[in-house]
Amino acid sequence: MYPSKRNILAVLVSLAVVVLTACGGAEPTEAPGAPQATEAPATEAPAATEAPAATEAPISVENTLSISSNISDLITLDPAVVYEYSGILVTHNVYQTLVTFEGADLQTIKPSLADSWETNDAGDHWELIFKLHPGNTFASGNPITADDVVYSFSRVFALNGPPAFLFTDVAGITADSVTAVDPETVQINLPKTASPGAFLAILTNNIASVVDSKVVQENEGDDHGSTWLLDHSAGSGAYVVDHWTQEVEVLLTANPNFNGDKPALTSVLLSHVPESANQLTALQNGDADIALNLTAEQLATLGGDTTSVTGADLRLFYLGMNVAVEPLDKPEVREALRMAIDYDGIVNDLLSGNAQKVQTVIPSPMFGYNSDTPFQQDIEGAKAQLEQAGVSDVSLEMLIPDGAAPGGVQWSDLAAKLQSDWDQAGITVTIKQVTFAELLDAYRAQGAQLALLYWGPDFADPDTNVTPFTNFDAHSIAWRNSWNDPDIGAKAKGAALMTDAAEREAAYKEITEYVLHNGPYAVLYQPAALFGVRNTVQGFEWNPMGFTDFWLIVKIA
Amino acid sequence: MTLPSYLLRRLVGFVAVMVGISMITFALSHVVPADPAIVALGDHATDAQIEAFRERYGLNKPVPEQYWIYVTNLIHGDLGISLHTRRPVAADLRNFFPATFELSLTALILSILIGIPAGVISATARNRLPDHVVRIVSLIGGSVPIFWLGLILIGFFYGRLGWLPGGARIDKFIPPPPLITGLFTVDSLLAGDYKAFWSSVHHLFLPALALGYFSTAIIARMMRSSMLEVLNHQYVLAARAKGLRQGKVIWRHAARNALIPTVTTIGVTFGSLLSGAVLTETIFSWPGLGRYATSSAINLDFPAVMGVTLLAALVYTLANLIVDVGYQWLDPRIHHG
Repeated sequence: MYPSKRNILAVLVSLAVVVLTACGGAEPTEAPGAPQATEAPATEAPAATEAPAATEAPISVENTLSISSNISDLITLDPAVVYEYSGILVTHNVYQTLVTFEGADLQTIKPSLADSWETNDAGDHWELIFKLHPGNTFASGNPITADDVVYSFSRVFALNGPPAFLFTDVAGITADSVTAVDPETVQINLPKTASPGAFLAILTNNIASVVDSKVVQENEGDDHGSTWLLDHSAGSGAYVVDHWTQEVEVLLTANPNFNGDKPALTSVLLSHVPESANQLTALQNGDADIALNLTAEQLATLGGDTTSVTGADLRLFYLGMNVAVEPLDKPEVREALRMAIDYDGIVNDLLSGNAQKVQTVIPSPMFGYNSDTPFQQDIEGAKAQLEQAGVSDVSLEMLIPDGAAPGGVQWSDLAAKLQSDWDQAGITVTIKQVTFAELLDAYRAQGAQLALLYWGPDFADPDTNVTPFTNFDAHSIAWRNSWNDPDIGAKAKGAALMTDAAEREAAYKEITEYVLHNGPYAVLYQPAALFGVRNTVQGFEWNPMGFTDFWLIVKIA
Repeated sequence: MTLPSYLLRRLVGFVAVMVGISMITFALSHVVPADPAIVALGDHATDAQIEAFRERYGLNKPVPEQYWIYVTNLIHGDLGISLHTRRPVAADLRNFFPATFELSLTALILSILIGIPAGVISATARNRLPDHVVRIVSLIGGSVPIFWLGLILIGFFYGRLGWLPGGARIDKFIPPPPLITGLFTVDSLLAGDYKAFWSSVHHLFLPALALGYFSTAIIARMMRSSMLEVLNHQYVLAARAKGLRQGKVIWRHAARNALIPTVTTIGVTFGSLLSGAVLTETIFSWPGLGRYATSSAINLDFPAVMGVTLLAALVYTLANLIVDVGYQWLDPRIHHG
C-alpha cells in the first residue's frame, strides 16, 4: 500500500518542524541573538545598590557613533583574558585601569583610577604604592575600592588567559603580590627581576582593568565570572556593554555614573562588516561614521564627506633567519640577505607609502626607538659579503603565511619581491606558503630556515620587543631562530631594569645597533594604521596600542 | 513498502552516513600539520600556556581516544566546546544556523518561483525572444562568480541607488524579534512586529538574489530541457487533440511531468546553496553558518568543524528525503522499493 498524498504532506510538515527545531532551538533564554534595546544596562547589574538609570533615548543615528569593522576576532569581553584587537578596543572604553596613556601618547603614564603612585626600594623587591582617587564609582554605583583592584588582579592569575604572562612571566608577580593597605591604597610588590617602568606600562593594559567585585561575584559561576563577563560588563569606563551579538555587533551605551566628563555620544555601535568594500560603501553612504579596515586603494578614493586618518601601528614586519641552518650561521650571509633587499621599493611600491621604513627592533614612537636605517638595496655589497663568508650557491626555503598581511599587501607579493631581490645577489630562495598556524608551529619549534611574519608589542615599553628579539632563554623570537648570544641577552635584561631615562635610552641604542648587524633578522617595515572617517566626526585619535577613546569623539551636524 | 518502514530504512542509512562522516572529518582535522593550541593562543603564548590548553581540551591524548571521547559525548547530545569561540558548539550552531537556513531557503524559494516558470516559458516559446532572454540570463547566472555578483548588487542597489541595505539581517536601529525559530521573518511575524518583518525581508532580498541566481539558472535550464522532451510525448498531443486549453496542457499535463528531473536538481541545488552561503555571508555581513564554518576551519577548531559537518550532513540528508518523497507526490507510479 502506498502512502496517500495526505500522509506525504504530514511527513513533509513534520520534517520541516524537525529542521526548524534543530536550527532554531526553542530556548528563548540567553542566546546572543536576544533582543537589543530592551536590555538596558540596568538589568545587567543586578547586584548594584544603586542601579544606573536605563538609557533615556533609544539609539539613533544622531546619538550613536557607528563603526564598521571586522570583529570576527572577538572571543570575549572579559578584560582579564581579552587579547584580541576588537576586544581591546571595546574593553578600553568600558573599564578603567590604575594608570593610563592619553590620546595617541605612549611615553607618559597618566593617572586614571589612581591619583598618584610611588615606587619604593624595599631591598629585595620594589614596593609600588597606588593611591585611589576618592569617591569614584562603578557603573553600578558601587564605590571603587582597593579590594576591587585586588579582586580584579586575582582573576587574571586564576583564569590564566592569553595575556596572563604579562603578570606572571614579564612582571613575575603572583596573586599574593597585590594587597589592599586600606580602602584607598593598593600595594604591589614587584621582584627586582622586573622593571617598575615596564610594569607601569603593563598596568595601562586591559589585563589590569578594575572590575566591580560585587557585581562579578554575584555572577561568579565556576569560572570567576568569566562566562558572565564574556558579553556583560562590570566596569567604570565611559561606556557599558549593552550587548554583543556574535558576528553581528557590539553596542555600548554611556555609563551614567562615569567618573569623567559625560561622553558626547550616548552609544557606540560596532557593526561587523567583514568585507572592506562594504565598509567603504557604508562610510560613503553615511551608514558608518568610521571604517576600521579599509585598504590603501579604498582610502585613496575618499574625499568629499569622508577623509582618511592615519595612526601608528606598532607591528614590525620582519624576516627571521635560523642560525642553526647553514650558511645562515655566518653573520656575513645574514648581512648579505639584509643588504640585497629593496626596502624603499617595498614601502613605496608594494605598500603605496602606507608604511614606515624601520630596521631596528623597537617600533616608532615607542621609547627607545632607533631611527637608524642603514640598509638599502646594495647588490654588489651583498655579493661581497657572500664572498667574504666563502659561500656560493646559497639556497634556502622561506615560510610565509597565506592571505593578506596587515598593512594591505599579500604575503605572497611581499615574498616574491624579496625572492627577486635576493636572486640578483645570487641567493636562491624557494617560497613555501602555509597557514599562519602551520608557520607558527614550525617556527616555534626552530623548524624554519627563513620565516616572514610580524611581531606586535604586548605593552608600551621597549622591553616587550627587545627581550623576545635578543634573549635566547626567553624562548621567544631569538630562540626560534636559534640565536644564542648571552652577552646581548644580559644587556637587554640590564636595560629593562634601568630607571634613569637617558641611561636607558643609550642602552637601547647600543642593543638595537648590535642586533641590526648581528641579529638573525631583517626588519622590513612598520605599517601605518589607516582609517576612513566621515567629516562629521571629530576627536578621533588612534592610540598605537590599538584603541581609541570613544568618549572624546563628537559628531557635528 | 509502507512509508514508516521506508523511513526506518532511510534512518538506518542516515546513521551509517553520520558515523562515516564523523570519522572522516575527525581524522582529516587531525592530520593537519598545525597545532590548534597555537592557533588559539597565538604567537606570544608561553609553552606552559600551550601545554595547559592541550590538557584542558584533551588535545594531548591519542587521536582514537579523542574520537572515542567525542562520540561518547555526542551520544549524550554534547557537541563539545569550540576551541575558538570558547562557547558550546551546540549553542554556536543554534546561533548561526537559522541565519543561513533563512537565507538559503529564501534563495531556494526565489529560484523555484522564478526558475520553473522561466523554464516552461522558454520551452514553449522555443527559439523565440522569451526563450533567448531566459537562455542568456541563465547562462550568465551559471557562470558569474557569486562574490562579484554580490559586490555589484551592493554597489548598485545600496551604494548608488540606496534602495536596499548592503548587509546584515536587520536594520541596526531596529531591535531583532524575540528568538523563537531564529528566522527573523518568521519570528517578527509571530511577535506581530511588522517593522522588524519588513526590515528583515528588505535585508534578505539582495543576498538571496545573489545566492539564488546560480540555482535559478540551473533550475530554469533543467526545466526547459525536460519540458521540451515532455512536449514531444504523445499524451501531450492527445491532451491537445481532445481540445484542452493550451495553458492546461502545459501546466497541468506537461509541466508536472517535466518537474520530476527538476526536483532532483532542486535537491542537489540546496546543498550548493549551503556551500555558496560562505561567500554570500562574507559579502553581505550575514551572521551565518558559512562564516562560522570558514573561521572554524582556519582556526583548526575541530569541535566546531565536526558540528558544522554533522549538521550539514543532516540537512543534506533531510533535503534528499524530502525530494524522494516529493517524487511520489508528482508521479504516484514511483514507489519506494
